[in-house]
Amino acid sequence: MSQDSGQIERRSRWFELRFKPVGMLAFMLHRLSGIGLVFYLFLHLAVLSRLRGGPASWDSFLALVRSSLFLILDGILLLGALLHGLNGLRLTLIGLNIGLRWQKASFWAILGLALLLTLWGTARLFFY
Amino acid sequence: MTKSTTGWGWLGQAISGVVLVGLLGLHWVAQHYLAAGGMRTYAGVVAYLGNPLVVLLEMAFLVAVTYHALMGMRAILLDLGPSERITRLLDIALILAGIATVLYGIDLLRAILGGVK
Repeated sequence: MSQDSGQIERRSRWFELRFKPVGMLAFMLHRLSGIGLVFYLFLHLAVLSRLRGGPASWDSFLALVRSSLFLILDGILLLGALLHGLNGLRLTLIGLNIGLRWQKASFWAILGLALLLTLWGTARLFFY
Repeated sequence: MTKSTTGWGWLGQAISGVVLVGLLGLHWVAQHYLAAGGMRTYAGVVAYLGNPLVVLLEMAFLVAVTYHALMGMRAILLDLGPSERITRLLDIALILAGIATVLYGIDLLRAILGGVK
């Protein structure tokens, strides 16, 4: 019983962002975005099977995904993919012992870059 | 730290990850940035896949992203500390899922390209 509540407390602390070292924040964002991207990958592959139905099936699907709701979801996807990709490049360099000294600064830099590119990309989606 | 986030597992994720940054960048530019209206119509998809280099790149993309996604899931699951037996079962399940995913992609490509003739 007490073990259970201890585990729940540990889990809730996982989502607590304050007082976390930058590296922990980067680790959490990398995992959360990674899990989200895995779900998106299989959803995306499943949805592509609409191509089997020919133009009628695919082109009507296009009308749906061009709606505002889907464009907002695309914006979230863009943010997740950019964070994961840019942080992945950062982790690769750190793992190769490159830029270890700037590992905190480089996290804020990729966070800023991901947010800027997401804003630009989402704006482009809406004002095509 | 688990086996898959150090050593060979780490290297595999790093290499496939760097490859994916390139292939996803290309995918975004070709399929959404350059495509009229942000997404290709059915006729557009068929015309695009008429280029053998595109088919090759799409296949490479599918293999790289499937490997990276499944190995990433493996790293997360191994951090939960499963037994040796569960780890072996997980590995078999992931390998089967990977093979099934790539076969699904090949079959989809075949169906779309077969429809042209």
